[in-house]
Amino acid sequence: MKCEWVKENVVLYVYNELPDDARYELEQHLARCSDCTAELKTTRKFHAVLSELPVEEPSPNLLAASRMRLGETLENVKPGGFWRRLVFDPGAWLRQVQFAPALAAALVILGFAGGIGTSYKLMSNSGNLESLVPRATPAPTESSITAIRSISQNPGSNTVSIQYDTVSTQQAQGSLNDQRIQQLLLFAARNNYNSGVRMDSVDLLTQQPNADHVREALIYALRYDSNPGVRLKALDGLGPYVKNDSRVRDALLEALMDDSNLGVRAEALRLLGPVRGDSSVRAVLVNLAEHDENAYIKLQARSVLAQLPEFD
Amino acid sequence: MPADAWSLTFAVGKDSPQGARRDEEASGTQDFPSRGLMAGHSLGRIDDTLLVREAQRGNRAAFEELVRQYDQAVLRLAVHLTGSEHEAQDIYQDAFLKAYKSVGNFRFECSFYTWIYRIVTNLCLDHLRKKQVRKEEAPVATDPDGEAYDVLEQVADGRAEANPERDLMRRELARRISRALEKLTPRERMVFELKHYHGLKLRTVGEVLHTTEETAKNTLFRANQKLRSALADMR
Repeated sequence: MKCEWVKENVVLYVYNELPDDARYELEQHLARCSDCTAELKTTRKFHAVLSELPVEEPSPNLLAASRMRLGETLENVKPGGFWRRLVFDPGAWLRQVQFAPALAAALVILGFAGGIGTSYKLMSNSGNLESLVPRATPAPTESSITAIRSISQNPGSNTVSIQYDTVSTQQAQGSLNDQRIQQLLLFAARNNYNSGVRMDSVDLLTQQPNADHVREALIYALRYDSNPGVRLKALDGLGPYVKNDSRVRDALLEALMDDSNLGVRAEALRLLGPVRGDSSVRAVLVNLAEHDENAYIKLQARSVLAQLPEFD
Repeated sequence: MPADAWSLTFAVGKDSPQGARRDEEASGTQDFPSRGLMAGHSLGRIDDTLLVREAQRGNRAAFEELVRQYDQAVLRLAVHLTGSEHEAQDIYQDAFLKAYKSVGNFRFECSFYTWIYRIVTNLCLDHLRKKQVRKEEAPVATDPDGEAYDVLEQVADGRAEANPERDLMRRELARRISRALEKLTPRERMVFELKHYHGLKLRTVGEVLHTTEETAKNTLFRANQKLRSALADMR
């Protein structure tokens, strides 16, 4: 390892380019290692060989001829420095040291003026907090939203107002089809602490459950929302898809079997009516008709089963 | 010519309280002709600054004084690198003409020494690249030793002793070395040239070639290795 390092650095040693400590170390090693000493010798010899192509001082004739030729050419050329000074170069002006104090003063004055102007504007607006809230907020990211405060739909239009908190409360307004609005609604349906807000958002989402992620949010609300009202709303939104979407059907069956709220279960049962022919639905219905604790559900399950053709 | 420069520097010097000092320096220039060597560039640094300022103001004599400080080293490098006095003269001419035209842009961010070396090495690199392309395009048309001939003749002249056999051997050796040098890439050649033959510090080489000392070091290693394998039988 040591020898390797020496062999790598012996060239620098010969060229006197090693730092003092490295040179000392190398010399110490050379005193002990004959291999490396031989390498140094070889390198030195090789360098001596290369110096057989000597660097000669240019002959006085050549030097004089070159100087003369250059002198003649310079007669006809204007130096860059002279012509440049005739052209106004703002960069060069700025570089001039004598302008530095004036420039510094100008910057300080500009800074003060800017500061005063800004604080004046803020103070004059402080009574009217709303004007400080930017109307056109950038699309919020989920991580920046702490909570949704309220959701309301303007009557007779599909414009929705959503108040949500980021670091400060902000307000977003737009059509239901607006991606920003949808993003906020989806966030509200899943994450909000206020069940009223969740209800509103699920309600609005049911207006366009075609989108895949909206349907997913509704299924999520149906499965996990703690508020039966919210679950019912989600159920209503999902109803029309029970025939075509097996995920919706599964979610409804789950709600039918396990939901703690009787109303939700009854609604799920009603919605599952049109697909009672499905084998998994039928199995659940049979099970409910025989074993369910609730008499109403039992009865309903039976009546739905009774509508099925005998042979099926 | 030197008298011209001297009197002009003096004339400028009268405008400022530093005039006397400049005057002394200017006369000092004449006392030490060895200033033509770049080795003494650190001593010439203060003069350089004043001369460059003057040259930037359009003082041609000041520029010519600068030329005289550096041109011998420039020519030495160019002759050794190109192997031809004629081509070296072209590089010399182009380099100082370029310097003259752009001296107004010089901002003292590096030394004038580094700046002028940068111009020269760029021209030399261009020259080496062109030469390489020519060689690749027409490998038979040009004689590979032809370029090196002038210089090698000089080698023999300078050392012509009583022993013609030894002289012949030395000439052959030099020819082989310059052939091996031609096989390096232009950049490797440049780093090796500046370090080995002109004794610049690797830090300066890095500055001149717009790269780091570390890169210059690595390039030097590579060049050394290539040369060693090309000249393996001569060690």
